[in-house]
Amino acid sequence: MTTKLTRSLIYWALLSPLMVVILFPFGVMFVTAVRPREELFVYPPTWGFSEFRWENFSEMWVKTNFGGALLNSLYVSVAATVVALVLSIPAAYAMSRYRFAGKGAYRTFLLMTQMMSPIVLVLGLFRLMMSLGLVNDLNSLVLTYAAFNMAFTIWMLQSYFNSIPRDLEEAAWMDGASHLTSLVRIFLPLAVPAMVVTAIFTFINSWNEFVLALTMMRSSEDFTLPVQIYAQVAGRYQVEWHHVMAATVLATVPVAIMFSWLQRYLIRGMALGAVK
Amino acid sequence: MSSVTIRGVKKKYGAMAVLHGIDLEIRDREFVVLVGPSGCGKSTLLRMIAGLESISSGDILIGDRVVNDVPAKARDIAMVFQNYALYPHMSVYENMSFSLRLKRMAKEMIDRKVREAAEILNLSTYLERSPRQLSGGQRQRVAMGRALVRDAQVFLFDEPLSNLDAKLRVVMRTEIKALHQRLQTTSVYVTHDQIEAMTMADRIVVMNAGKIEQIGTPLELYDTPANLFVADFIGSPSMNFLRGTLEPGAVVLADGSRVPVETTGRGAAGQKVVFGIRPEHLSLSSDGTGLAAEVEVVEPTGANIQVYARVAGMPLCAVFTERHDFRPGQTIHLAWPGRNAHLFDAASGQRL
Repeated sequence: MTTKLTRSLIYWALLSPLMVVILFPFGVMFVTAVRPREELFVYPPTWGFSEFRWENFSEMWVKTNFGGALLNSLYVSVAATVVALVLSIPAAYAMSRYRFAGKGAYRTFLLMTQMMSPIVLVLGLFRLMMSLGLVNDLNSLVLTYAAFNMAFTIWMLQSYFNSIPRDLEEAAWMDGASHLTSLVRIFLPLAVPAMVVTAIFTFINSWNEFVLALTMMRSSEDFTLPVQIYAQVAGRYQVEWHHVMAATVLATVPVAIMFSWLQRYLIRGMALGAVK
Repeated sequence: MSSVTIRGVKKKYGAMAVLHGIDLEIRDREFVVLVGPSGCGKSTLLRMIAGLESISSGDILIGDRVVNDVPAKARDIAMVFQNYALYPHMSVYENMSFSLRLKRMAKEMIDRKVREAAEILNLSTYLERSPRQLSGGQRQRVAMGRALVRDAQVFLFDEPLSNLDAKLRVVMRTEIKALHQRLQTTSVYVTHDQIEAMTMADRIVVMNAGKIEQIGTPLELYDTPANLFVADFIGSPSMNFLRGTLEPGAVVLADGSRVPVETTGRGAAGQKVVFGIRPEHLSLSSDGTGLAAEVEVVEPTGANIQVYARVAGMPLCAVFTERHDFRPGQTIHLAWPGRNAHLFDAASGQRL
């Protein structure tokens, strides 16, 4: 028992530098968000503060139109995730279950698109959305986010689909199920962990995306959260750092909580392929 | 229940031929085992009967209906898979009732059938469990239960016992055989284990490299194997083969020793032949005559003694049920009843 305790202590000691590096920005973010405005630039900097100012959040909410931006972000991220999944599942299924010419090339193509930075494509995408009349329309972000994430989601779903034994579908066919029935009642329920994992990734990618949102969205009522927060900093004579940090806390924390809650699916997903 | 007819069936994957024309008639209520080494095409043939593989040429008939283009779901066949293929997200009850629910059968009817099958298979207390909470043998029985509830025309088994440990395999073997005796459903069973084939089958189909080597009852295959492959494959330990030249009344081995054998009507003098004798048919000759063999390894199994020896440089195995105290290096003299000797042509491998 004591050896186990000592061992745990040693492991935590070894892990702690990494934890400090990871948690430091969050710490700064949090203490800045909750201290009074007058204590923002004290020298030397301290972690402490005289008063816990929760009002910073409510002030910020009103002043920065946080609610509107939150709704925009939610709409864009959820819609992009749904579009990406709905289109990726059939593609991944076909790649996993059928043999066709050019399958390997297609996989490589998907991987290659991941090596290109979206920034390279920003101008082209802007002109495309321009001709489609979608600039300043949140749906332009839905489309581009879904498209950018699909290479990854197809890749990820296909790997997982490969691990679902083909026998299960064949058994369903033998039991009298059509291809569609076996897909809906046998295959997809088993693929839920993979779909959840890819959905999380797509959602977070879309939630955090900045460059495309900055390019496509012209008017401030269409801003997503990252752009809205950026707008509190860029080109301002005076930056309200406590509001910026409060907004950042509100933009990151829900996602972090969701991710840590859903990550059990990730682990379960990895283990399910081992069913004999 | 129904017969299955296979006529000139071939299977090709691109340029590679896997089955080179299979002809087989499986009678109604029969239990037929397809046996052969891995890669011989036995599973492919089974999957073609099931409708999971397309047929390159030839016909497969269930009853008198050609099913070449009938999809698997419409063939009314039940199949037990090697890895059981139980739906992991459904309970045992749901697994067994899946096919009936697809048919939109009445709830009470489904319930009755599932409970009946569960009763037969000793699964009644496990119906609410999920497959992962079951042992290997229980999963195996659920897989069979899924087939059982359907009253299908034909049962297919694809190496259903190979994931079980040795002891359980023997138990399940008997259970499947008893089940067939009770239900009398036409069954096709694939295995690579010749003991499984021998113990369960009404008839065995021995396959090798995409062809049928021999079809017959277990004892026919054991007593009169059609060629060297079948002779070698059926029986454990496998048959001893001694290469030599045929002369009237004997096979002459490389070192000049003569193995007496009935030769009338079996090949011509001077022909290269293979003499075959099963280990369990060898006995010690009482008078010191007979085939001289030098003992190399002795393996007692309790029930019998397996002796590995050498005759004219060729390996030979003998099984004795009596207890003998053999030593490595010792020379023993072996005899056998003449009717148990087999003779094959060395070039073609066919029985003489």
